[in-house]
Amino acid sequence: MSLITLDPTNPAPGDDAPFRMAPRPASLKGQTLGIVANGLGRSEVMFDALAEQLTKWDDLAGSVKVVKPSVAVPPWPEQWDEITSQATVAVTGFGGCGSCSTRSMRDALDLEAAGIPAVCIVHEALVPAVEALCRLLGADGYPFVVCGYPLNPTGTWDSDECAALATQVLDGVRQRLTA
Amino acid sequence: MTFTSPEVRSDGWLEAVETYIENGWTDGLPVIPPTPEAVQAMLDAAGVDGSEVLGDIPTRSLSVTAEKVAINSVMAGCLPEYAPVVIAAVRALLQPLGNAHSTTATLAGAAHAVVVNGPIRNVLGIECGQACLGPGFRANATIGRAVRLVIRNVFRTVPGVLDRASFSWPLRYSFCFGENEEHSDWTPMHVHEGYAPDDDVVTVMSVMRYLAATEFEPEAETVLATIADTARIQGLMIDSFVGDARGMMVILGPEHQRRLIDEGWTKESARQSLWERMTQPTAGKHDVKVELASPENVLICCAGGPGIAQSQLIMPHLAAPTHERILVP
Repeated sequence: MSLITLDPTNPAPGDDAPFRMAPRPASLKGQTLGIVANGLGRSEVMFDALAEQLTKWDDLAGSVKVVKPSVAVPPWPEQWDEITSQATVAVTGFGGCGSCSTRSMRDALDLEAAGIPAVCIVHEALVPAVEALCRLLGADGYPFVVCGYPLNPTGTWDSDECAALATQVLDGVRQRLTA
Repeated sequence: MTFTSPEVRSDGWLEAVETYIENGWTDGLPVIPPTPEAVQAMLDAAGVDGSEVLGDIPTRSLSVTAEKVAINSVMAGCLPEYAPVVIAAVRALLQPLGNAHSTTATLAGAAHAVVVNGPIRNVLGIECGQACLGPGFRANATIGRAVRLVIRNVFRTVPGVLDRASFSWPLRYSFCFGENEEHSDWTPMHVHEGYAPDDDVVTVMSVMRYLAATEFEPEAETVLATIADTARIQGLMIDSFVGDARGMMVILGPEHQRRLIDEGWTKESARQSLWERMTQPTAGKHDVKVELASPENVLICCAGGPGIAQSQLIMPHLAAPTHERILVP
C-alpha cells in the first residue's frame, strides 16, 4: 500500500540573489583592513599581529577592529557601520568553535555582499561546518584560510603562538584579499 | 489541505520509517511517518496556518514555518493537542536572546530545556513530579523530542556538519517537564515573568551544564549554600550579547523545598539568597562567580519527586531563558 508523507527538512534559502565575491584590489597597498573579531580565546592578539605584519610588509593604510558582543552573533549595528564605512578589505574569525566559525563565515559573506573583499580564518577542525554554511547560503567553494594543529581550535594560545599563527596565515590572507 | 513540503512516497508504514532514518531525518530512533492528514491535525490543534513563520535564524538565512514544525511534531509522536506547546517552544527558542544559531551549533553541545507552566500541564499530562526529567511520560518525551527534531531538520543542525558538538549528550534526545505548581503556594515561575497564574507559558532554556546539588542536612541555609556552591564550581561568565537577561535555573526538588518552607522561606527570599551567594567574587578555580544581573535571573522551578534531598541546576549557554505564551484555539 502506497503511503504519502511529507519532507520534514527546511528547503535551502532561495537563490534569487546569487552569491558574488567583491572585486579584489591588485594589492593591499593603501588598503584599510577591517577586523571582525569574535573574541574567541586570545585570537584578538593574533589579529593584531596580523594587522601589524600586513602594515609592515604590504603597506596597509591602516586597520579598524571590532570585537563582537558574543562569539557567534553578528556585530552590533554600530560595529557593522564602523567596519563598512572604513574598511576596504577585511578578515573575520577566529573560526575555532562550532557556532563562532559559521557565524564568522557569515560575517565574511555579508562583507562580500557589501562590496568589501573578505576572508575568514578557520581552524581545520571546523572546516566541515563552514563549508556546510557556504553551501546552505549558495556560496559553495567560497575560499577561506585554514590553520590547524598543533594549535588548538579554541584560541587558548600563548603570545608566541598568536604571533606564529599570524605569520602562518599571512600569505593566505594576502592571496584571498587581492586579485 | 495544501502543503509546500515535498511529498515522500513509500510502500507502506515500515518502509516510510526506514526511509526517514536513511535520509538522516531522525534522531536515530524510528519516527511516526508524517502523513498530510496527521500534519493538518497538528496545525488545526494549534490554530495556525502552515505558512505562518514562527521565527528566523539570520546566520543561516532560515525561516521556520508552522508546517515544518507540525511535520516534525508528528514524527516525534506528539498528539495533536501538544502542538500549541511545541509551537510556543519553537517561537521561544527563536527569540533573538534565545540565540538559536549559537546554542545549536556549539562545540559544547548545548541542549534545550522546555519547561511548561500553567493549567495546560494537567490537561496534557505533562509530568512535574516523580521522575519528571526522565522517560515514561508521553507529553514530556514527545514535546521535547519534537523541538529536537525541529532543531535537526528545520534549523539544519546535523551532527558533524553544522552541529559541532564534540560529545553531544542524552539531554538532546528530549528534555521537557513542567513545574509542580500544586506542591506548594509558592509563586509559579511564569508569574515571576509577568504572566497571570492561569496563563499557559513555555520557558526555553539552553543547557550548557546540568549539575546535581545534593544536600541532606536539614537547615535551609545549608541547602541554599550547597546549591550556590554547586553553581560556582565553574561559574558563569559575562556575555555582552545576552547582557543582563542571562539567567540560570534551579530545579528545586521537593525535599529541599520542604526544608525551605519549614523555615519560612519563599521563592523570592530563596532566590535573593542564592543570588547573593552565587555572585560573591571568584575565590578559586572551582569557586567561580556566577555572573547574574539580579535575583530575578535565578529562576526557581519546583519539580521532581520525594526521596533524595537534591536539586538540579541548569547553567546556560550564550542565551537567555525565553518565554512564550501557549495559545490554544
